[in-house]
Amino acid sequence: MTTVSAVVPVKDGERYLGEVLSALSAEKVNEILVIDSGSRDRSAAIARAAGAEVLEISPHEFGHGRTRNLGAERTTGDLICFLTQDATPLPGWLAAYREAFDLAPRVGAAYGPHIPRSDASPMIARELEEFFATFSPTGDPIVQRQGDPQFLSNVNACYSRECWEELRFRDLAYAEDQAFGADLLAAGWAKVYQPRARVLHSHDYPFADFMRRYFDEYRGLRESTGHVEQFNVRETVGHVRRSVRGDAGWLAVRGATRAKRLRWVAPSAAHHGGRRVFSALGSRADRLPPAVRKRLSLEGRGDASPPAELSTSPPGAIEALPSPSAEGVTIAPSIEHQLYEAATEVWRRGPARLLDPIPGMAERERLRIALVIPSFSRGSGGHSLLFQIFSRLERRGHVCSVWVQDYSDHLQNVWPAVLRHDINKYFAPIASPVYNGFAEWHGADVVLASGWQTVHPALLLDRSFARVYLVNDHESEFYATSAESALAADTYRHGLHCVAGSSWLRDLLVERYGASAEAFEYGVDHDVYRPRPIERRTDTIAYYARPETPRRAVPIGLLALEELYRRRPDLRIVLFGSDGPIRTSFPYVHLGVLDPEPLSWLYSEATAALCLSLTNASLIPKEMMACGLPCVDLAGGSAESSFGRHGPVELAELNPLAIADALDRLLGDGDLWKLRSAAGLDFASLHTWDRAAEAVEAGIRHALRLREAGI
Amino acid sequence: MNAEEQSSQEEIRRLRARIEQLEAQVAEVEAWANKAVAEAQVKTYWLDRWHLDLNALMRRRSADRTRAAARRLRSVYRAARGLRRSS
Repeated sequence: MTTVSAVVPVKDGERYLGEVLSALSAEKVNEILVIDSGSRDRSAAIARAAGAEVLEISPHEFGHGRTRNLGAERTTGDLICFLTQDATPLPGWLAAYREAFDLAPRVGAAYGPHIPRSDASPMIARELEEFFATFSPTGDPIVQRQGDPQFLSNVNACYSRECWEELRFRDLAYAEDQAFGADLLAAGWAKVYQPRARVLHSHDYPFADFMRRYFDEYRGLRESTGHVEQFNVRETVGHVRRSVRGDAGWLAVRGATRAKRLRWVAPSAAHHGGRRVFSALGSRADRLPPAVRKRLSLEGRGDASPPAELSTSPPGAIEALPSPSAEGVTIAPSIEHQLYEAATEVWRRGPARLLDPIPGMAERERLRIALVIPSFSRGSGGHSLLFQIFSRLERRGHVCSVWVQDYSDHLQNVWPAVLRHDINKYFAPIASPVYNGFAEWHGADVVLASGWQTVHPALLLDRSFARVYLVNDHESEFYATSAESALAADTYRHGLHCVAGSSWLRDLLVERYGASAEAFEYGVDHDVYRPRPIERRTDTIAYYARPETPRRAVPIGLLALEELYRRRPDLRIVLFGSDGPIRTSFPYVHLGVLDPEPLSWLYSEATAALCLSLTNASLIPKEMMACGLPCVDLAGGSAESSFGRHGPVELAELNPLAIADALDRLLGDGDLWKLRSAAGLDFASLHTWDRAAEAVEAGIRHALRLREAGI
Repeated sequence: MNAEEQSSQEEIRRLRARIEQLEAQVAEVEAWANKAVAEAQVKTYWLDRWHLDLNALMRRRSADRTRAAARRLRSVYRAARGLRRSS
């Protein structure tokens, strides 16, 4: 005969625990384990007195999934029953479960109904009755398989050890049972609703606690199954009206007097209406501020777990596939693959055909330019640079439009007006319309791709005369050897005319990929980046430390500053460019991500700066120079190519000691400092965004000429 | 160059000028359309931000009722204002 273990997680559950445990003993369960997570009442003592094994854990170790896994590990029964501390099995409960597992092969779990306690409100009692009746209107056990409801409740459930060992509970803050139900079905197991495995269980929380519980419940449901509860005012009013009527009817059938029915009208309306509101809020908890989340949660949870799409990644599903009875796992398609699909489409049928060139088109004063950009967020340096140029192309009279290629799904639900607003707010003022995706593509004279993610989609756009690739960096070097690095490298081989962000980058594109390319130089916004009226300090190093961008070689920069700090213990170090503070061996001032205005003040006050780039030289050294701040960058690469060996930048090898030496020279040698600072101011004054836009426009016209010449 | 060749060159020049003119018109129309779309995007910012589809909203019966109620309120207000002015 199969052996049965019962696991009951407990915290301050003395009210019903004795009753639950004696019912379990009466059912002749082989083993009872009570897991107490820090009860301050007599729960543990009651459990011991009832003959149960008690396992005490600290409250912070508790997790609905984690603790139940622990319980299953600590017991030995072939079947493992989970009950909550207030769910009392009714006679025949265990026999009913045993029967359930014999109903079909590969039954992984069974669950039974909750019978309301005598003190339950009519709303709860009716809801429980009606809810469980939906699983089996005839009152017979029902076997559920993939495609049937995923519902499973650890208030009253029983699992086969084999199934639990294969899937285990997810470590979720809530609704681990629902997640298990989904995983179980997806992995080809069956579950059984057994109406005869009944427990007495209902809650009688005060109204506010009920609402907060609904908030937790639906938040858990969102986290475990991705379910989002819809909310519609009109529909909610209708629902409340119907529910109040239903509760009154339910009371009437049970012989309640008219006065009693009337007394329940207001609580019933508040309960059903509040439930709708709090369920919808729980589903959207990730959008609420942490303090509000915490207040609304009965469990006091202020954290936000990202909502998961359960059906896409059930743990154990892969292992379950080889099983002969498994029907396979359906994985929902993901937008993440659009990026690769565009590349595949280009490989499959080649780029969309360009329109035949019109003689003299390159000289036309006004061109129709479509800029294709990757999705963005605040603080993106690449986008800032793009829109500095693009806003100027608009001002030069071109007819411009912006097309956002959302290769991740984080802009999926963002409407174009919002994207346009954000571009204007974060980057530069543009007058063009913005489109999210290419559904409304209407053609242009020139398609301007920017960023490797935009190139394959741009190659699929028809109704244009030429395609130009605004290359800001050698992006295949941003990745380790991977699909991304290969796809990024592929973008340079499709014959787009490249307008590269430095002569170093242009040469690389020509030599390595045989691309047709020309260069432009980044500009500086001199209205913002200029020497500010503030006394220049003699002890401050400003370091652009952005560890999120590996090409910035932050670990080496930090080692260099560590060395410098050892030599100069009175040194003041300022780190900026990243939101989170970085762990260092030296003290520093953390400024986070700064807007241009405060940055220009920092550059005007600091003594010297450090800004490293392992690929193309960035804008930052130029902006520092424009404020009179000498900067250290890497020798031998793009920085040396852009600024010259003896130019405005103090160059150093990629070596912490050499970088520390270079910074030391700027701090200790006044003449050198003056020389670099003055050369930097001169150099920066030659670089404006107007010039950069002019050069990009020349590149665009050149691409049209190449088309005309049939190249 | 004979007269026939000259006339054909002339024709090509004229056609190119016409193409240029038509292209300029296309650019003009597109610039106008882009401006209109951009202005509309500015106006619909909050609607887009909150995913409000006014067309769908106004198709509802409750929207009709609200508009009718607003019209009635407005007529009452105007009548009251008219009375005050005339008295």
